[in-house]
Amino acid sequence: MSVVPMPGTAAEIEPPVSLWRDAWHRLRRNKLAVFGLVVVVILAFTALFGPYLTPYDFLSQDLNSRNLAPSLSHLFGTDDLGRDVFSRVVYGTRTAFLVAIVVTFIAVVIGVTLGALAGFFGGWLDRIVMWLTDMTMSIPNLLLVVVINASLKSPITSWMESRYLATLNPVYRETIWVDFLLVFGSMALISWPPYARLVRAQVLSIRSRPYITAAQALGLTNRIILMRYVVPNALGPLIVAVSAGLGTAMVLESAFSFLGVGVNPPTPSWGNMISDGLRVWQHYPHLLAAPAAVLGLASVAFSFLGDGLNDALNPRGAK
Amino acid sequence: MGAQPLMRIENLVKHFHVRLGAFGERAATVHALDDVNFDILEGETLSLVGESGCGKSTTGFTLLNLHRATEGKVIYQGKNIVELDEKAMRPYRRQLQIVFQDPYSTLNPRMTIGEAVGEPILFHKLATKAELKDRIATLLADVGLPPRFASRYPHELSGGQRQRVAIARALACQPKFIVCDEAISALDVSVQAQIINLLLDLQQKYGLTYLFIAHDLAVVRHISDRVGVMYLGRLAELATREELFEHPLHPYTKALLSAVPEADPAHERSRQRQILQGDVPSPLSPPSGCRFHTRCPIAMEICGKVVPEWREARAGHMVACHAVTEGLPG
Repeated sequence: MSVVPMPGTAAEIEPPVSLWRDAWHRLRRNKLAVFGLVVVVILAFTALFGPYLTPYDFLSQDLNSRNLAPSLSHLFGTDDLGRDVFSRVVYGTRTAFLVAIVVTFIAVVIGVTLGALAGFFGGWLDRIVMWLTDMTMSIPNLLLVVVINASLKSPITSWMESRYLATLNPVYRETIWVDFLLVFGSMALISWPPYARLVRAQVLSIRSRPYITAAQALGLTNRIILMRYVVPNALGPLIVAVSAGLGTAMVLESAFSFLGVGVNPPTPSWGNMISDGLRVWQHYPHLLAAPAAVLGLASVAFSFLGDGLNDALNPRGAK
Repeated sequence: MGAQPLMRIENLVKHFHVRLGAFGERAATVHALDDVNFDILEGETLSLVGESGCGKSTTGFTLLNLHRATEGKVIYQGKNIVELDEKAMRPYRRQLQIVFQDPYSTLNPRMTIGEAVGEPILFHKLATKAELKDRIATLLADVGLPPRFASRYPHELSGGQRQRVAIARALACQPKFIVCDEAISALDVSVQAQIINLLLDLQQKYGLTYLFIAHDLAVVRHISDRVGVMYLGRLAELATREELFEHPLHPYTKALLSAVPEADPAHERSRQRQILQGDVPSPLSPPSGCRFHTRCPIAMEICGKVVPEWREARAGHMVACHAVTEGLPG
């Protein structure tokens, strides 16, 4: 814990140990967290540079080489249309990261704003925000996504098709964006309550800490107190929650895609690839194994990283 | 001591409104502070003592306007500072500082010691950015810390070191007056002595005035010029240190002083202890009349009915008790 160096020892020339640096040291000592971090970084790199890493186009079919087992030319084999599974998994990573990042970003923006306002101002605003939060949390997420898909998807898609036929404007040609929009939108709408609750609790607890009173006694303005005292101290748990939230969003996206209410074929998503692979797994297990393994790896990696961050940023909570 | 009043507290009242019951259905009022009157003289150390919850800390917080006073005045430099809003209060905040009880939680864990000490300097424009480093080093030296501590974080420091930092930060504002709110209670006894001596040295050096809130009577006796005794939100007695410890008038003060153990075993054996019966009544519904009458060994009929007047029984010796007849006309 707190190490008070003796004057005149080597500790004198050590650089200052900020809490962030301290947390980084603790994180590095946690093997599982380091594993998680490495996997997450590799996946993120894959998602970012996907097009340069894939040996084949993820859509190009080669009907002469269907359902090939993994080999050097096709690392994860090929699927029933002769598409390279490795390339599709890489693109599935892009899909997963895109959905996870956008959804988490929207959810964090909504959640942090509402939570901070509720915690800071309290009173009726707090009550309304908390009602809204409880209400949102009571909505079963799968049901909401199915309902949105069933009710909004076909009207938007057909409207876009008609616009495209009428104007030939390429903006309306790709209905893939409708998939993303609906997946993002519905998932973000149900993912923000945990962030709102977390931030509200953080702000409430920090607001009553003595160092806030101390800052007021110095005469500092509310803005300075908020920016230099409240926000930095609320950040740790939020980082943990975001890391865990990214993993959850990825799994959710795959789950929805698996059930056919998320990202639809031919856009590759781990979820719809698992769904396709499941039908033929007795004959071509690699079609199921590849996306499922990557999804599992990603989920485990984010979870380890989140746990590691939690222990590193909230050292008192650990053991 | 020049005995110029630095601050005059008049009829200060602080009530907290709370909601009780499982659903907060019952509104109640905590009488934290009622009708408190005293002066704080320039350059003195005035101590406030009393049991937990008697309102000593509330007094400190309220007269710094950290709690909004319910009623009453705190006159400082001719202004009633408790009615000022935060913006108008700012210049006074610089002059009126506070050191808190728990040094572990009064420093922002995300700021280095240098940042914490330098922040009020820059905020109140007491030094330029170029002078800042020297100023921080001087302040740290003032509280007995080496300048390299400026780059450390609070969690690297011990309790005593953190309390020194808290004092340095208060000093950074170049204050006239510092409330020491149980500033040594959380520290080890050996560290307490160091911090007390530090506070006394700084008082000499910078001509500071202290309101020292404490419950350790031995410490209070060591450092105070005057001592005030509080009971359940009211001042019971206030006098110079010698006067209060040698000639206590209020029965509560007498009971309080009789609880202090003597270092000398011979004296300790012959010490007359006066043990008060019962508990401190709830500040939610304080007793009528004199608040001490429910536990007072010499309570009279009038004590439960009439609030005793806060008056000067002897020169400079204020007391609120019906049983004290000294100094009454006739």
